[in-house]
Amino acid sequence: MDSTSGPAPAAASTPHTIDAHPGAFGGLDVVEISLDAAGEMTGRLLAQYGANVLKVEPPEGSPTRSIGPFAHGEEDPDHSLTFWYYNTSKRSVVLDPRQPTWHEELDGRLATADILILSCSPADLDSLGLDPADLAARHPRLVICTITPYGLDGPWSHYQSCDLTNLASGGVLASCGYDDHSIPPIRPGDNQSFHMAASFGLISVLLALIQRDATGKGQLIDLSIHDSVAVSPELANPYYFYSGAVVHRQTCRHAQPVPTQPALFETRDGRWVYFALILADTKPWQSLVEWMDSMDLAADLIDPAYQTLDHRQANFSHIQSILEVFFLLQDAQSAYHEGQRRGLPVAVISSPDEVVHDEHLRAREFFEYVGAPDQPGGLYPGAPIRFSAYRSEPQRPAPRLGEDR
Amino acid sequence: MSEARSGVDTPFPFYGDASRAPRPRRGPLAGIRVADFCWMGVGSCATRLLADFGAEVIKIEDRTRIDMPRRLPFYKGEVRSYGDEMTDPDPDKGGLFNNYSRNKLGVTINLRTDEGRRLAERLISASSVVTENFAPGVMERWGFTYDRLRELVPSVIYARMSGFGHSGPYEHYRSYGPVVQAASGLSYMAGLAGREPSGWGFSYMDNMAAYYNSAALLAAIWNRSRTGVGTEIDVAAVEVGVSLLGPVFLDVTVNGHSTHRPDYPTGNRIEHPAAAPHGVYPSAGADRWIALAVFDDDEWERLVTVMGSPTWAAEDRFARMAGRVAHQDDLDRGISAWTSQLDGHEAMRVLQAAGLRAAAVQNSRDLCEVDPVIRHRGTFFEMDHPVIGAALFEGFPALMGSAGPDHWRSAPLLGEDNEYVLGTILGMERDEIDQLSARGVI
Repeated sequence: MDSTSGPAPAAASTPHTIDAHPGAFGGLDVVEISLDAAGEMTGRLLAQYGANVLKVEPPEGSPTRSIGPFAHGEEDPDHSLTFWYYNTSKRSVVLDPRQPTWHEELDGRLATADILILSCSPADLDSLGLDPADLAARHPRLVICTITPYGLDGPWSHYQSCDLTNLASGGVLASCGYDDHSIPPIRPGDNQSFHMAASFGLISVLLALIQRDATGKGQLIDLSIHDSVAVSPELANPYYFYSGAVVHRQTCRHAQPVPTQPALFETRDGRWVYFALILADTKPWQSLVEWMDSMDLAADLIDPAYQTLDHRQANFSHIQSILEVFFLLQDAQSAYHEGQRRGLPVAVISSPDEVVHDEHLRAREFFEYVGAPDQPGGLYPGAPIRFSAYRSEPQRPAPRLGEDR
Repeated sequence: MSEARSGVDTPFPFYGDASRAPRPRRGPLAGIRVADFCWMGVGSCATRLLADFGAEVIKIEDRTRIDMPRRLPFYKGEVRSYGDEMTDPDPDKGGLFNNYSRNKLGVTINLRTDEGRRLAERLISASSVVTENFAPGVMERWGFTYDRLRELVPSVIYARMSGFGHSGPYEHYRSYGPVVQAASGLSYMAGLAGREPSGWGFSYMDNMAAYYNSAALLAAIWNRSRTGVGTEIDVAAVEVGVSLLGPVFLDVTVNGHSTHRPDYPTGNRIEHPAAAPHGVYPSAGADRWIALAVFDDDEWERLVTVMGSPTWAAEDRFARMAGRVAHQDDLDRGISAWTSQLDGHEAMRVLQAAGLRAAAVQNSRDLCEVDPVIRHRGTFFEMDHPVIGAALFEGFPALMGSAGPDHWRSAPLLGEDNEYVLGTILGMERDEIDQLSARGVI
């Protein structure tokens, strides 16, 4: 274990692992055939809570095994950090779809499985010789979750895709970018379209398991990545549904039908804090002015005239420029914690490097060290859901290709 | 809903419009009653999933503290920004509330009174799931601890949804989507190198935290149905956010490769796997764009053909992936010159016809008016609302073989189901309900 993996101070009342019940998904048998991160993330969430997840891989390994970055630069299927990230606590078996025994061997694995995750395009399903409806008919208790870019059938079901195009067609990308619209919309984060689909993968599988307890029957789930994105842009859809307005992207804050004031402020140490001032709320306004005044930086904002919303609204750009100076004269971390201490929703734009050392997450023992004697270790994000009655299993390193026979 | 309206007379005459009266629910969660203290975005979105799939979700509201989505200006025929609310808005007119609270029942209880809290306890006792997303400490102040809830319902499921979780030094930090995105690292990762992050143009983490909370509730319900054991659930949106950072997180923790470097973040370009072009290019029209990605040399050759084999594209430096990655600025200029002549959807069609990954950057109008997949799958659907009228809703992105959603009614008017919940479910007499109303308890 490396130096960053030592035990964090125990949290006072974190309600996880109180009782000794096994993981929430203990006893579930899952077979996963994933050619992308959507199915792999779904499988990881199941494995993280105790499901027995078997990845079925071709002899060359799942596609994510060839995507970097690689651990310590070792470019081979057993050192992809992309693969490691999405496949902790799973097992791996190699079955070759080109061999005549493929269907028989797969059926053997499915005979005792509760869930089959099939994450790839419909064309990939064809080339694997897999017909989901046929699998469902032959394994009536099996919950089959197909995750495809645009659904199993329909007008775009044969379309090619990747994370960037998923976010584009799904309506999320249009909301993300800069105030300067000569710059194109900017993809937010890595693989988030797959992550959105995976959360619906988990939800739909659980709905099907609950249904199966009542009926004894599994079912076929046709989950679309595109649709997962299209139901997730938060306010953009309701804006159009109700007012017919289309929102326009703004730098690191809500896309809106009409422009709003910037919410990012640069700090003395060259970092950024997020703070959206809502003028209509009196209490936060008073807290803000008190805070600024405590640093002798409130300027004329202490003038009682600012107690009225009308005056604040009439002088919004003046307020904004004083705020810019206020943040520019302090460090990001102090602004974050002092603002929050005063009840204001301020946040520093934290990097992944900083998140690893976050005092709060450490106190909650969120991160887990994952590694093996023959696999370089490091801290991984831990369980995002904490049950008092069920433990989340410590994550095991992602499997080597075909390590289970 | 027309289906409900055409039904037989309701046994609940206190609904003026019979189509608004509850009917037996269908779906995998039918028979499960939820005492839902959630409000705002995350909680309301999380429990909507339960209501969609058959649970009887009773949304507990407080007339003295109107749920924000009831107040936000999402009105038909009126364009206002998020922060630009009316001074005395009609709580039944808000579209965002309709969006979040469809299929739920609504009851008003003033939880700041002893009588109100006793009433809420009766409702909890008649339920088996309790959900909340207040700031940590609020439910405790009202006496609704997990221990107390277990006294009322031994196998209760108690879902606590918050920004930072129910322990730790930042437990009481104020949060909403953008704060969670900033604190978890998600905002940092999006943008062009050397300038402020572009981050997220919406509360991504409101939706994602909601989805994880829905999944947590389903996992707890599924387990309890087999073991009889309930659970408390603590989901911190920040932890969900960190768990979504992706492989870059391990590049930091395993490889020690810092994200504090001048070439990070990478805008629309990606490093893993190598792909070029990989970007968002202008299409015809004001501020319209198309996303396009090429992952190997064969795809590049097809792209060149689709573009009509322009001279610049034949240059040797673009023939192999490494060369295209090294010369992405020039590459992007050439592609932009071609895409800017084309309608985004038309470009998508011709590129896809050549087997290329391309998609018009669709906005919500495109999703509603153009997108043939949303239409084919019926992902957006319509329901009527007594004040708002017909409205579109975002449905479920999966077509379920047999456990599909059961959309029975748009969101409750404020206090619309008080008589049903207090009278029919809790068995209170009419004059008792009237007295509660007169005393301002409901």
